[in-house]
Amino acid sequence: MKALMSLGALVGVLGLLLLGGMIFDVVPSNTVRLIEGYMPMQMLFEVGCYVLGFAGLSYMLNAMGMALPRFWQGIGFWVFLMMYLKFRVYPPIPFSVRAMYGTVGLVTVFMWVSANEEDWKKFKQPILNVLDAQTGMNRLLRYMYLVLLPILIGGFSFNAMMPKSEEPIELRTVHPAPPASTKVHGKTYTLQTSQSPYRVNPEGKYDQEYSNANIVEQGMGRLMKPNANPWDEKNQGYLKYVREGGEIFFQNCHFCHGDNLNGRGLHAFAFNPIPANFTDPGTIAQLQETFIFWRVAKGGIGLPNEGFPWASVMPPWEQHLTVDEIWKVILFEYWHTGYYPRTWD
Amino acid sequence: MGRVIGKRLFSIMALCAMVGLLLLPIVVAMPSLAIGEEATADGAKKEGDKVEKGRDVYYKTEGVVVGAPAPKTTDGPKDYPRYNFESRVLLWFANQQHLYYGSFVLAVPIFCMIIEFMGVVTKDKALAKRYDQLAYDFIKISLTAYSLTAVLGGILIFTFLTLYPAFFSYLSSVFRPVMHIYALMFVAESGTLYIYYYGWDKMKEGFLKWIHLSMSVILNIIGTLLMFLANSWIGFMMSPAGVDEQGRYLGNIWHVIHTALWNPLNLHRILGNMAFGGGVVAAYAAYKFLAAKTDEDRAHYDWMGYIAMALGVAFLIPLPFAGYWLMREVYAYRQQMGITLMGGLLAWLFIIQATMIGILFLSTNYYLWQAMGRMRGAEKYQRYIKYLVFLLACGYMVFITPHTMVMTPAELKAMGGQQHPVLGNYGVMSAKNGGINVIITTTVLSFVWYMRGNKVSTVSWAKFGNIFMGVFFACAYINIIGLAIYGYYIPANVRVGLSVPQVTTTLSCLFFMFALNSMMMKGAKQMGPIEWGKISARSQYALIMLATAFTWMMGLMGYIRSSVRLFWHVNEIMRDNSPWAYTHTVGFAANMISANVLFFWISILFVFWLGSLTAKKAPVEAKVAVPGSVPQPAGSH
Repeated sequence: MKALMSLGALVGVLGLLLLGGMIFDVVPSNTVRLIEGYMPMQMLFEVGCYVLGFAGLSYMLNAMGMALPRFWQGIGFWVFLMMYLKFRVYPPIPFSVRAMYGTVGLVTVFMWVSANEEDWKKFKQPILNVLDAQTGMNRLLRYMYLVLLPILIGGFSFNAMMPKSEEPIELRTVHPAPPASTKVHGKTYTLQTSQSPYRVNPEGKYDQEYSNANIVEQGMGRLMKPNANPWDEKNQGYLKYVREGGEIFFQNCHFCHGDNLNGRGLHAFAFNPIPANFTDPGTIAQLQETFIFWRVAKGGIGLPNEGFPWASVMPPWEQHLTVDEIWKVILFEYWHTGYYPRTWD
Repeated sequence: MGRVIGKRLFSIMALCAMVGLLLLPIVVAMPSLAIGEEATADGAKKEGDKVEKGRDVYYKTEGVVVGAPAPKTTDGPKDYPRYNFESRVLLWFANQQHLYYGSFVLAVPIFCMIIEFMGVVTKDKALAKRYDQLAYDFIKISLTAYSLTAVLGGILIFTFLTLYPAFFSYLSSVFRPVMHIYALMFVAESGTLYIYYYGWDKMKEGFLKWIHLSMSVILNIIGTLLMFLANSWIGFMMSPAGVDEQGRYLGNIWHVIHTALWNPLNLHRILGNMAFGGGVVAAYAAYKFLAAKTDEDRAHYDWMGYIAMALGVAFLIPLPFAGYWLMREVYAYRQQMGITLMGGLLAWLFIIQATMIGILFLSTNYYLWQAMGRMRGAEKYQRYIKYLVFLLACGYMVFITPHTMVMTPAELKAMGGQQHPVLGNYGVMSAKNGGINVIITTTVLSFVWYMRGNKVSTVSWAKFGNIFMGVFFACAYINIIGLAIYGYYIPANVRVGLSVPQVTTTLSCLFFMFALNSMMMKGAKQMGPIEWGKISARSQYALIMLATAFTWMMGLMGYIRSSVRLFWHVNEIMRDNSPWAYTHTVGFAANMISANVLFFWISILFVFWLGSLTAKKAPVEAKVAVPGSVPQPAGSH
């Protein structure tokens, strides 16, 4: 047990040193990289390791008779969490989310330090000591708080009320609900039941299982099967349509959506917000193929009321592409990202 | 002897009267339905070929048109008479208050039934008396609330009639027989409740007690049916059926009731009501505990709070899964509706909802950890609580992470896109299912620790049992998290199905581990009794927090469910042409929900106060019977 706790303590110290180094730029921030595709779990895993490390550190300090007071343990852990979120995770997390996590952190730290009477007493003791002000130091601290706290609260209030010159926050609905049907080139498509005419098996019948089977998963990325190369001139059917869709994509779409379909095309950063990132699991992977068909055909100006503030400059592609071309380009987008269109069966 | 027989006879007659009341609405309604059908058939014969047929918008069956089309309303005093105020807000208020009280008075009798049953089957006579008194206390609270529910129901109907006459006229024309049955069921509910309440003392022992218990079953059947009927109206407004595309009734009342969302709504509301009722009673007990002046009172209200919390949480645990089923049915019914709810206009409200659900589970866990403080022997678990806190925090953070984050344009540029590459992954369903299941499984673990807190197992296989339990929980966490990760690799329709093994894992922990724990703790060595009343004040605030979060979340979910119709009174059938056919801002809705919650809590405090007045007038004999005067042994959990 002691060996295990010593190991934990070592992990805790190393972790803290690493984080401190990253914060003060002593250690390059990419020393321990967040690995593409594994980042969400990596983050939780890292925080878990820190928790075990701190438990070990606490145990060791206790054994050495240098126990850290529960009050500082609680405060310290919360500060660590905020530092981790601010300096470890890249790209930077928006303040609103850090505030949410910070509040959850604060609540859970409170739950931890007050889970039983003994711990709660230990936690409260330094606060009560300052309030009682029995020693000179505590008296000084009490006066300091008396002066500093109103200044701090006043400062926050002033900052919150002060008019800002930056653009206001907008709650944007990225995926507004689609209409029941849409009319493109004179034909009405019911979004819940329409199907891509090009997602077909060798017999020419609509078959999503067939198209899904052409994709091999590796990590969180997707690769095509060796015999499923759409750029092979000999391929017919589904893979041929994927190739044709790819040609249309690179002629029309990649300027904004990027050649990796990640929303970072040549012109992407001229727009605010930047174009949709199809490789994100929250975009086309969450939507029916017909939803994409509607969005591509109608573009930004075709967004419904719910799509306020209509922050999209995508042209209505029905004015430039045929219906077949739209279906094919969508086929390519799904093939390239390795995602499957959403179905409801 | 003769008196006993007379009492028995009276009890059986009372029970028969209740059954009669239950069947009365059906009997009364049947001829009217038959007459309606005959009339239609006669009409059809007379009109010959002129009979107009319509196609059911949902069932796609053909039927004879027997109703008028849904009115095409216009903004004006005829269809939308108004005060110099937003009519929708008035209706919202009336509706929400009626729902709060309705939920409470439907839930509490179910509690009474369970607790009374526990009292009847418990062999320990002192404990049986305590259960009986607790059930009586519950029903007493609900009696005053019942009158208020009826008053609020009246206010609601008058609000509809005076502010939305065209809409209400249409709804009542479609639901004509259902509304009559509803009214009669209400009469039956009232009659049954009063017989049940006032017959309590006269039927407190032996065979008569069983009769009394049977009455509570009938009372609850009537109450549940009442709720199902009311649910059919909102189900119809969201996912109409039994009418053609003009909204004309096609003569099949079952189609109108049994809409696409009726069953999921029924289940969700039953569980929600129970969890809410438990929360309110627990808050009542917490309030009384904090105000108590004697150890006896503190012991009694501590116990009452625990029982109410345990019952409420028992129904809270399956609630997210029922909600998941409801959402699944919403998506199956109309994709647009599902996207508006979960990914579109109302998605932010779901983040708030996730926050509230998290608060509920966190409060529950916190209460249980505090409750372990009143048992000797539970200290051995205290040092592990920090790991439970960590699991809860991780699950909670994942659960509340929004997919589309609120950010300034500068932050958006720094992030390089709408979705964060790390946290964006927490914003989709796969991660959220994992998050909530981790939270629920951890809550189950806290319950298991609580239940064995002051006991040491004496069975020969105790060591093996403990190892098995530890491995079971570890595997459950691995399975839940593993499936959440796997969800990113598979098509969406398969991913939706992954929730089933996740839920099964969580429920397996609940049932198997509770069962195993009970077996292990049979004849266990007691480290000391549960010292009822010796719990921290913080725990009672956790109960109040639990109840407030329930109330707030109910208000929020009601608002979401109603708003998803957007500008329709009846989805795709009857358009809302009032000036208020827009969706409120998140801030306005939150303020409105908070105002409703505040009003409900102030008014229920009044109800509690009225209840305390009757308690003060209770006869001496009844006072003596009030249990909880002595700290009770651990057998009660």
